[in-house]
Amino acid sequence: MLKTGLFFGKRGHRSQIEGLLFILPYAFLWGFFLIWPLAYGFFISLHKWDPLRGSKFIGLANYVKLFRSPIFWNAFFNTFEFAGIAVPLIIILGLVFALLMQRMSIRGGRFIEASLFFPYLLTVSIVSLVWKWLFDPDVGLVLYYSSRLGLHLPTFLADKFWALPAIAFATAWWLAGYRMVIFKAAMGDIPPELYESAELDGAGGYKKFRHITLPLLRPAILFALILTTISGFRVFGQVIMMTAGGPGRSSEVLALYLYRRGFDYLQMGLAAAVGFILFVIILIITVISFRFLGFESRL
Amino acid sequence: MLRRSNAVGVGLKYFFYGVLAIIWIMPILWMIDTAFKPSPEIFTVPPRWIPSYLTLEHVKEVLTKWPFVRWLINSLVVATTATLISLIVSVLAGFSFARLQWVGRNFVFITFLSSMFIPWQVNVIPLYFIMHRLNLLNTYPAIFLPIVAMPIGIFLLRQFFLNIPQSLEDAARLDGCGSLRVLWHIILPVSRPALGAMAIYMFIFSWNEFFWSMIALQRSNMLTLPIGLKALQGAYDINYGLLMAASFLAVLPALIIFLVLQKKIIRGIAFTAGKG
Repeated sequence: MLKTGLFFGKRGHRSQIEGLLFILPYAFLWGFFLIWPLAYGFFISLHKWDPLRGSKFIGLANYVKLFRSPIFWNAFFNTFEFAGIAVPLIIILGLVFALLMQRMSIRGGRFIEASLFFPYLLTVSIVSLVWKWLFDPDVGLVLYYSSRLGLHLPTFLADKFWALPAIAFATAWWLAGYRMVIFKAAMGDIPPELYESAELDGAGGYKKFRHITLPLLRPAILFALILTTISGFRVFGQVIMMTAGGPGRSSEVLALYLYRRGFDYLQMGLAAAVGFILFVIILIITVISFRFLGFESRL
Repeated sequence: MLRRSNAVGVGLKYFFYGVLAIIWIMPILWMIDTAFKPSPEIFTVPPRWIPSYLTLEHVKEVLTKWPFVRWLINSLVVATTATLISLIVSVLAGFSFARLQWVGRNFVFITFLSSMFIPWQVNVIPLYFIMHRLNLLNTYPAIFLPIVAMPIGIFLLRQFFLNIPQSLEDAARLDGCGSLRVLWHIILPVSRPALGAMAIYMFIFSWNEFFWSMIALQRSNMLTLPIGLKALQGAYDINYGLLMAASFLAVLPALIIFLVLQKKIIRGIAFTAGKG
């Protein structure tokens, strides 16, 4: 008894150390470059930060200043507007494409899937440049062809109201193919017998979608929704390259506001506060989605 | 009768899918078209799809006046290093979480995993000062170090490792193999789909990194492709011939790799989805 106990004790001790050693490299990088900056960022946000002449602790003054600034609130609501447009667009387009691809039984399907997916492999700068060119108010293809069709569309990126939706649309073009691949994979996991027995009961395409595909895809869709929402809230590259926040500040989002405060105005404390607020927003969204949409079983 | 209506149906289907695909890649076609068009024909109304002749003037200007090739190399180095380091540390951690017994294992795993929802871009201000102090601004490590500890990586690998039968490992352990050898000889050889999927995911992610790179990289020679393109935009504003040529050159590697590996890439991404 004693002997085996000792044996297990020793072995347990050794495997404890071994287990920790294996996670050590990851844990170090994770702690030093992900968690520590988060704490350090909060620390900076409590200061009038000036590494050269010395920083001054000012408590929550940066946050108070932000909450009183209409420019901050403008960026705040713009961020919500962008996410509110881009996220549903990406998810719906991804879902529709996945359904189309799933039902497609023609040769050359690979080529079509590739065309829908390929934009995802572009970097954000290319997406922005290409769409800025397409949306060009004077000679852009979008306005030219739509006017040929008899539509009188606004000048998108040069229009106060339409700049953000246009950026959101370009973003959806970029990312929908990625969601398509993911949804299609999830659809592939649905047992075909379900469809077969539904067909025997005389269910048509829409009914099958409504009562089999959609419910079974629910977890995948919700998960995609959370991840897309998070990435929507930290949008930056498309905005700075397509409109630089303009016209005026009509498309300035939080990440861009953060960047300008920090690196144009050198108000690092204030910029860090914006970063922390962004973190809190995303944290709240994540917690709410997990609580109310039911994700306990994902792990 | 039946056969004919079928043929019409198939024809319609081809037409519909074809139109969809063409509309969707139209922006890319227009980019390539613009890149090889002589300047005077770029800004015409109506737009001209077929130029009177093809020109390399824009491509030449990008390649001769700007360190474009250097940017490409920078991007490749950053993305490759990030992918490799990320694979190594995630494999070790994922193995520990899946196959080693230790107290607190699940707690630590869930802690790591929940950080998946920290948008690390909000860390750019503190990272700037940290990297400044480490003297790493304008270097490759400044870009890849903050992105290698990707929580989705350990999640994916742990999940895969969990499903490898214990009997394989037990046999090796009886032969006196330590954990590292078990990992190397038993686990890794059967984990290639997971490793490939994660490598693809990580490579695309780091290849695309924009916000933090834009802050950490200021020297023209150190820029990665996305930031280099931003610099070009700053210098040329609406000279779209040149900007599209640069975009085309920047797409080229992705396009070639995709044409060769399309199935693998799509399968890899679908794989990350199935597990995550």
